[in-house]
Amino acid sequence: MHVVTDNFGYILGGFLVTVELTVLGYVGALVLGTVLAVFRVGPITPLRVVGTVYVEFFRNIPLLALLILFVFGLPDVGLTFSLFSSAAICLALTGAAYVCESVRSGINAVPVGQAEAARAIGLPFSKVLTVVVLPQALPPLVNVFIGMALGSSLAAAVGVAELTNRTQQLNLQYAEAVATFLVAGAFYVAMAFLGAGGGRWLENRIGRRVGARR
Amino acid sequence: MTATTRTSTALRRSGPIAAAAVLVSVALTACGGGGSTPAPPGASGKTTSGSSYDAIITGGPKAAASAISASSWAQNVQKQGYIRRGGTDTGPLFSLKDPTTGKVTGFDAGLSQMLAHYITGKTDVANLEKLTITTVDTRETLLQNGSVDTVIATYTITPARAQKVDFAGPYYESGDAIMVKADNNDIKTIDDLKGKNVATESNSTAALALKQKVPDAKVTLFQTDEECVAAVQQGRVDAYVLDQGILISDASTNKAVKVVGQPFTQEPYGIGLPKDQGGAKQFVNDFLQKIYADGSWAKLWKATIGTIVKGDAPKPPTIGSAPGS
Repeated sequence: MHVVTDNFGYILGGFLVTVELTVLGYVGALVLGTVLAVFRVGPITPLRVVGTVYVEFFRNIPLLALLILFVFGLPDVGLTFSLFSSAAICLALTGAAYVCESVRSGINAVPVGQAEAARAIGLPFSKVLTVVVLPQALPPLVNVFIGMALGSSLAAAVGVAELTNRTQQLNLQYAEAVATFLVAGAFYVAMAFLGAGGGRWLENRIGRRVGARR
Repeated sequence: MTATTRTSTALRRSGPIAAAAVLVSVALTACGGGGSTPAPPGASGKTTSGSSYDAIITGGPKAAASAISASSWAQNVQKQGYIRRGGTDTGPLFSLKDPTTGKVTGFDAGLSQMLAHYITGKTDVANLEKLTITTVDTRETLLQNGSVDTVIATYTITPARAQKVDFAGPYYESGDAIMVKADNNDIKTIDDLKGKNVATESNSTAALALKQKVPDAKVTLFQTDEECVAAVQQGRVDAYVLDQGILISDASTNKAVKVVGQPFTQEPYGIGLPKDQGGAKQFVNDFLQKIYADGSWAKLWKATIGTIVKGDAPKPPTIGSAPGS
């Protein structure tokens, strides 16, 4: 196990890059995805089309393909992003499609009666969205977070020195694939676990505050 | 590398959609290694993949019955009728799949097929080996759990690896060289890489060599050879370090890059075998001695690596000369 103990700082550094990638990508996905979801449920047809086309494209192209397009395709048309920002942007772009669908299904899952009742007591549209609809759209967003945390490992393939990439580098030197990937796997599990726990906590908190528990 | 070259052309000719299609195909190849990379147009014409290649394989030696009965590992392969090899099908010169025929040829592939012919005596070259795609993360494990009989995959012998698996050979000695953009005149030797951005393949030992020789170079690992070449071409990195033979083969079909300097490492490639099992190491070393002696090794070199590297076949390395072999 000396491969792990000797290089713990190196592995931890990679984990931090993974966390940064995931958090940046997730925040970007939340913002973009929510806007797109509003487009998709809204009454304006051109915006609905934009939302639908976006989701159908980015949900159906593999993240790895998107990463390679971004990293090796864009420089040919004169746009070069750093490897890290490329990976964060691609994660956000893909994640946004999933966030959009989660938020949309969250909105659709709320019985019409609830929205009508909220309107009947005089809540404006923004309040209907934030206190009635959004809390109920949270659980699927935790899934998206976990998906993105694990998906960030694909950035290893385009040279971002995150957890998986550093694990591969260590393995080159020590030939200890099982030990190193067990450790990397444990980091991913911990991250997904914390993300899920945080999501549950947030859900309870918002739920308690507005009294809109499921 | 060829895919990338075609991409830039495609971009100019038919816009982003064609480029997207090409890149997606690159992505899929990069993903599992299971896809087939289009052979470099220049190289595929030169590489012997037809009947003369097959003749070199089937012209190799055949094992004596007594030698096979002395090794339970060889007996297993004989019973199977083919060899289960761990390797790649996207390695130019060493092990590359021809997308039109589906045949895997190259120096590594040829050795594997020659070894299978040596044991089984069969002459149907296409069915002498069953290839399992391996990466640096899976090679030792697949040998240890018996999923493959051997790993022949530009597999550098190192003492750390030799603790997990046995190495026959070395059967080939190579060294890492440097690729830069064609108009770069600043980088000529390994010392010029100090503080520079350097790419290499995540499956190769070049990353280790860089860490030892130029610790302050910023190393970026990409999954495939094509991606590393693209990174050099697009100026994302200053240089790309890998096995000289592979770099020369890349540069031979891509005028935007060039290979500079002489190899600065020694990479002894070995045949990976399960540790201490059925006399496998001794058996394969004997096989290597035989093909060194009868010229089959040199013929195979000429038909594969020799299509790119000029001159006569080098003298094969001495068996057991690398630490760990």
